Amino acid sequence: MSLELENLSILKQGSAIFDPVNLVINPGEITTIMGPSGCGKSTLLSAVSGSLDQVFTLKGSILLYGSNMADLPMEKRNIGILFQDDLLFPHMDIAGNLAFAIKEKTSRVEKNKIIDKALKTAGLQGFEKRDPSSLSGGQKARISLLRSLLAKPSALLLDEPFSKLDQTLKAKIRLFVFSQIKKMNIPALLVTHDPRDCPEGGMILNLNKEEG
Amino acid sequence: MSGQAKSRIFPVVVISFFCVTVIAGLFGTLLPSLNYLPVIGYTRISLSAWFDFFSYPGIQTSFFVTLFSGITASVGVVSLAFLFITFSYGTALWKFFEKILSPVLSIPHAAFAVGFGFLIAPSGWLIRMISPALTGFTMPPDWIILNDPAGISLTIALVIKEFPFLIMVTMGALGQLDIKETLLVGRALGYTKEQIWLKILIPRLYPHLRLSIFAVIAYSLSVVDMAIILGPSSPPSLAVLILRWFNDPDVSFKLLASAGSLFLFAIVLLSILGVYIMERAVVVFLRPWITNGKRRCFLSRLKPIIFFMGCGTLFFTAVSSVILVIWSLTWQWRFPDFLPTTWTLTFWAKGLVSSFDPVMTTLFTGVASAFIGLLLAIGCLEHEVAAGKTRTRNYTGYLHYFLYLPLLVPQITFMAGIQFLLVIMKMDGYWMSLMVSHLLFVLPYVFIALSATYLAFDERVTDQAMLLKRSYIAVLFRVKLPMLIKPILFSFAIGFSVSVAQYIPTMLVGAGRFSTITTEVVSIASGSDRRVIAVYALIQQCLPMTMYAMAIILPKILYYNRKGMQV
Repeated sequence: MSLELENLSILKQGSAIFDPVNLVINPGEITTIMGPSGCGKSTLLSAVSGSLDQVFTLKGSILLYGSNMADLPMEKRNIGILFQDDLLFPHMDIAGNLAFAIKEKTSRVEKNKIIDKALKTAGLQGFEKRDPSSLSGGQKARISLLRSLLAKPSALLLDEPFSKLDQTLKAKIRLFVFSQIKKMNIPALLVTHDPRDCPEGGMILNLNKEEG
Repeated sequence: MSGQAKSRIFPVVVISFFCVTVIAGLFGTLLPSLNYLPVIGYTRISLSAWFDFFSYPGIQTSFFVTLFSGITASVGVVSLAFLFITFSYGTALWKFFEKILSPVLSIPHAAFAVGFGFLIAPSGWLIRMISPALTGFTMPPDWIILNDPAGISLTIALVIKEFPFLIMVTMGALGQLDIKETLLVGRALGYTKEQIWLKILIPRLYPHLRLSIFAVIAYSLSVVDMAIILGPSSPPSLAVLILRWFNDPDVSFKLLASAGSLFLFAIVLLSILGVYIMERAVVVFLRPWITNGKRRCFLSRLKPIIFFMGCGTLFFTAVSSVILVIWSLTWQWRFPDFLPTTWTLTFWAKGLVSSFDPVMTTLFTGVASAFIGLLLAIGCLEHEVAAGKTRTRNYTGYLHYFLYLPLLVPQITFMAGIQFLLVIMKMDGYWMSLMVSHLLFVLPYVFIALSATYLAFDERVTDQAMLLKRSYIAVLFRVKLPMLIKPILFSFAIGFSVSVAQYIPTMLVGAGRFSTITTEVVSIASGSDRRVIAVYALIQQCLPMTMYAMAIILPKILYYNRKGMQV
């Protein structure tokens, strides 16, 4: 109900790069888009987030709680993204990175409380003053997710977020990410080429293109 | 491989060259300021020169004019550059700037100042454009626009001339930031592009630009050639006043000049310190603003104004060149007319003949200093590459700290000292001394221009060639340098244009025995016939342009049949 892709297709020089996609993701659900590299799954994600390259044209609609996002600029869609890289701002401490995401009209004291609470859920209590580059890969990934969620997005996109973590970490971070999405109760769209990334019981969509 | 191991001689020589000249120059200025200059018979140390300096009539006005024009221009150009990149990055305008930047930068300060003066003067082109239709003027108004006592026209000209420089440095630094990703993350968190630039990217960009900004401050406070042409004249800004004292027939004025130029250096140092303190304060006070969560930005309303100003700098630069061309071809041009009534080539014919000697001096000095600068820069960069391969100590790494040294100390301060030392060593007035003094300013620019592309060279090509050829020198000269011909010629052209633009080193180290096209332009700029000045300014402007054109065309000719070299 909450995130719907209706007849969504992306055209490059007039021809669609995959068959039209129809998709409904309910709050708290994670739908996975699978496919080999080059099938257009990242392009689909950038269409939903609003960062589609100008060489492509978008057809169909992207509905978020009933309103069409397709013509809105990225920053007005209220859709969060989690990337492969943590992309933490290297010149700010952890608290600064997280505070950057919290919406305005929150008092400083309140912000600090929110940050402390978020760090606790990730098992990173007391990390406020730490330099991002002193964190391990797994810790960075968790902070990055917290940052995306603190902006209170209405939906979350995951662009191969686990692909750069090592094997032992992957399972842990995956669980953390999925549980946070459940807790926030927002729809999420995951793009991956690794079948093990798919959450249990989640819907899986394979991007195809009919030959000819 | 021994060639590479020995290559540390390059950074060592360059660093020593910078340190020795700057320190010796400062020392050579300090002694005369303390009344010690045996050449003209002053041997008793005293502070009298300093007292004379501070009690010189009008010195306060000179001080305030210097401070006002220098600080206003620096603050103005830095704010403009930051706001311009905030609003225009990724737009067609930004891409246009990328293309147009080098020809704009190659215009010598003096030539630009002359053209700018022809534009804004009461009888200048701008007023002619709207007269008499809008103004009703049939005679030039008696406004003091040019050489205005507060130095406003100088300040504006400084902003226009330094804006493209800061944009160029910014473009170089942008490669070190992950701009695309940061913009994506920020926008996914709901921030507009402008807010991401102001809150995240500019704070990260600033450390890369700090030294260039300091150099802009030092330059704006101590500029001489532009200040002679556009700045106030009685009293003039400090740097101009100091140069007048140096050239005074009464040699005792040299003591006064030394004290003054050290005072100017102190102003520069204090201003840089002030900016550094401000930077620290801003970091502390703006932290809450960065994380206040506001996604929209009131500054967005400035967007049209900033675009207008950014394009305005280009407009003024372009029109300043156009007006030079027009004046150089003018025979008769009555006041409110938009264009001359009769045209002539007479002044070109005369100017080309009479400027021949200065042009030759400019050409030889420029080519020699740019060539030596290039050799030293390549040597230093080769050392850096070799150190990276063998994981040995990289002396060129230290060079980055010293590179800006000649650009942060006012030229007039240490060039004066060097002149005194050269006189003592009886080496003043030699062409070689002149050329080396130019090299001091040419080398930093050549190095900065070349280093990024040079270090990005795919070393596997060199390794492969080494396996085939087994001679480091042969591989360097027959494979690597030819492949890098474009950036090499380009930084040569930059070095050449820096040399052409030098005014103070030629005036002081040349000891009056050498005149370049630049010293000629500045000396005739006030008082001579506009048509003659225009011809000289255009000749000055054409020299670097020609070199840039060669840097673009030559690789195309040399490698016309090699598609891989045409990128």
